[in-house]
Amino acid sequence: MKRIIVLLVVLMTLTSLVFAQGAAETAEKFPTQPIKLIVPWSAGGGTDAIARALAKSGEKHLGVPVIVENKPGGTGALGLGETIKAAADGYTLAILPVELSFLKDQGIYPFDFSNFTRIMNLNTDPSALTVKADAPWNTLAEFVAYAKANPGKIKIGHSGTGMLWHLAAASLSLNSNTQYVYVPFNGAADAIASVLGKNIDAVTVSGAEVSAQVRAGEMKILAVFGERRMDIFPNVPTAKEQGFDVVVNTFRGLGGPVGIPEDRVKILHDGFKAMMEEPEFIELISKMGLGIDYRSTADYYKLTDATAAALAPVLQSLLKIK
Amino acid sequence: MLGYLFDGFFTLFTTMAAPALLGGVILGIIIGVLPGLTATMGIALLIPLTYYVSPSVGLSLLVGIFAGGIYGGSVSAILLKTPGTPAAGATILDGYPMAQNGQAGKAIAIATIASAIGGLIGALILTFLAPQIAKIAVRFGPPEYVLLGVYGLTMISYVAGKSLIKGLFAGCIGLLISTVGIDPITSVPRFSFGTLNLLTGFELLPILIGIFAMSQALEGVRDSRMKAPEQLKLTKIGISLKEFFRILPHIVKSAFIGTFVGAVPGTGTDIAAFLSYGEAKRSSKHPEEFGKGSIEGVAAPEAGNNACVNGAMIPMFTLGIPGEAATAVILGGLMVLGLQPGPLLFVEKPEVIYTVFASTITSNIFMIVLGLTGARFFAKVLSLPKSVIVTFIFIFAVLGAYSMRNSMFDVLVMGIAGLLGYLFSILDYPVPPVLLGVILGPLVESNLGRTLLVSDGNLMIFFKRPISIFFIVIIVATIGQNVYKHLKQKRK
Repeated sequence: MKRIIVLLVVLMTLTSLVFAQGAAETAEKFPTQPIKLIVPWSAGGGTDAIARALAKSGEKHLGVPVIVENKPGGTGALGLGETIKAAADGYTLAILPVELSFLKDQGIYPFDFSNFTRIMNLNTDPSALTVKADAPWNTLAEFVAYAKANPGKIKIGHSGTGMLWHLAAASLSLNSNTQYVYVPFNGAADAIASVLGKNIDAVTVSGAEVSAQVRAGEMKILAVFGERRMDIFPNVPTAKEQGFDVVVNTFRGLGGPVGIPEDRVKILHDGFKAMMEEPEFIELISKMGLGIDYRSTADYYKLTDATAAALAPVLQSLLKIK
Repeated sequence: MLGYLFDGFFTLFTTMAAPALLGGVILGIIIGVLPGLTATMGIALLIPLTYYVSPSVGLSLLVGIFAGGIYGGSVSAILLKTPGTPAAGATILDGYPMAQNGQAGKAIAIATIASAIGGLIGALILTFLAPQIAKIAVRFGPPEYVLLGVYGLTMISYVAGKSLIKGLFAGCIGLLISTVGIDPITSVPRFSFGTLNLLTGFELLPILIGIFAMSQALEGVRDSRMKAPEQLKLTKIGISLKEFFRILPHIVKSAFIGTFVGAVPGTGTDIAAFLSYGEAKRSSKHPEEFGKGSIEGVAAPEAGNNACVNGAMIPMFTLGIPGEAATAVILGGLMVLGLQPGPLLFVEKPEVIYTVFASTITSNIFMIVLGLTGARFFAKVLSLPKSVIVTFIFIFAVLGAYSMRNSMFDVLVMGIAGLLGYLFSILDYPVPPVLLGVILGPLVESNLGRTLLVSDGNLMIFFKRPISIFFIVIIVATIGQNVYKHLKQKRK
């Protein structure tokens, strides 16, 4: 009997030692298991492309594979909701959309950026005011002058009420004191097709989304709503250059549930930064016409907070009309 | 142009493109047969593979998966009443009754031939008329979409079965289901009850699987207790020349409908299939056979949906605007391959484009060989005991609903749709109108909102545009023809 008790004690001590060592090791070593990267949209879109292009070199830079999981639904709300509920151990991450800055106020998302540990920014694309090539306007000033003379006559298409490109059009309206009719479409492509078919006059979707038409001479960009000109269209001036303070960018970042320990955030940030610097990643993403825009953890926090603040008055003006 | 096409065929058969295409078609058929794995998903998952090969090889693979996937869905639709993809929803209506009459092999053979010929016609239109069709397609604005949708809804009269009132009732239920989710114009959540799952509304595939497959499995369970399950006898597989000439006109017509539905952005293979089915029944000499295993009823939707595959590539290549969901994914793949789709693509990379055209044409030939060889084996599934089949349908239904979005909620939706379908069958209500409502509701609703925004609230816009007037005429004619037939029957 005694022997057995001694044996048990020895065994217990041994196992606890083994476990203790294991615990100590996980605290030091992260990551030790695959990282799940949730894409809150279906496979095949821009967000999905970025996630998959990053994941390709995941194992090389983090030592563990990065596994992309598509969780579409609720304009991103389903996948983001699942991310929030996951353990904050750094093993569940998500690509965070710009919509987290403003969809909570509209009652569509039950959460915003403050519900996430933000790690870094990955990409930025500016909105661009684009019209058909044979439209009578060649500058933003001409467009605005026409809108002033004919309030509510110009129809601007976007990809969903309350979504970013709608806010871009509304921001132009607010900054230039003009009125437009906003026509929501099921995605940017349908809105662009409607301009080509002359059913509407303009779109405020991203410059990347209209680039094929612009290069082919079917459409022209009157102004880029970015801080600086687009690399693919260096001749097209920004709205700011033309005297209108309209800056609306979409951005995609990396994040996870609130409470991921700082040392792990650092490891993830460094790993994903290295993935972003892979030549193959840069080539793939540039080919898709998406803008690569790395920003550090601190800068990403600044960006998300600033965007929410900048869009608040625009959103206010829209909600008033409602 | 013919020179380019010749070069395209040359590239296809002298590089790895042809084997990639063949592999794509085979993989596509497998993906299509398995419920829940759609062509769209298959393409999305294989795009990373194309990074490592030349654009023509990569695109041939994707074209193969797309064509095979849409065709493959018909096999499980015919055999198990389980639509492998949403596009196969209309194929069930006559394909499954045919299988139950012991003509499973024949139904698959017809679906194969129709898919291949329909696809081939679509591919030829894509090859030779893409820029012209694209010009018409962009003139399709919000008012035209509304009327296309309304025209689609008039198809309820063709799929309602015995009672038009019951059909309209079922159609309204479908429309009601389609209103769940964020309002397409104002973005106000509707019927979401504060849950994220209801925010985007219901996915079509879980409803399709539930309402057809699950309800049928439930019936199978019920019947197995009442009587000894009967073994299905398999009769001949081939089709006669006479039958071929009977379905050929429907195939050709459906191919044109499908190509056009594909070419206008925002509509897809499911709509193409239902419109083709309705038109076939309207113009058939034997409309009474529809719903009971009509060979025309199998041929038309299959020709329509495979033509739609090619039609959807028209705006993708010529305008850089996807014609439907799967082409949206291919579009992303094109960009990764360094091809900027749009008007310039034909000027900058004709060699790639024409290789793709060559592979769309060739994919149909691969499909017919594979399909006709496979029909014999596929049909053998039905010689299994009914209890085994029903068990497998349960498994497929749950897996299929889940794998679409990795979502248990969709499994729940599938189950409820199954109960609804079961209830409908007990009460003798028709199921297809529900689907028409679910598929067309969002199209009509969102575009009606857009139309009124564009026209500043003036409904006269519908009467000022040539294409919309054309649709008004055929809508009135369709309804008129039905009313006339109804009155004539009453008088008898």
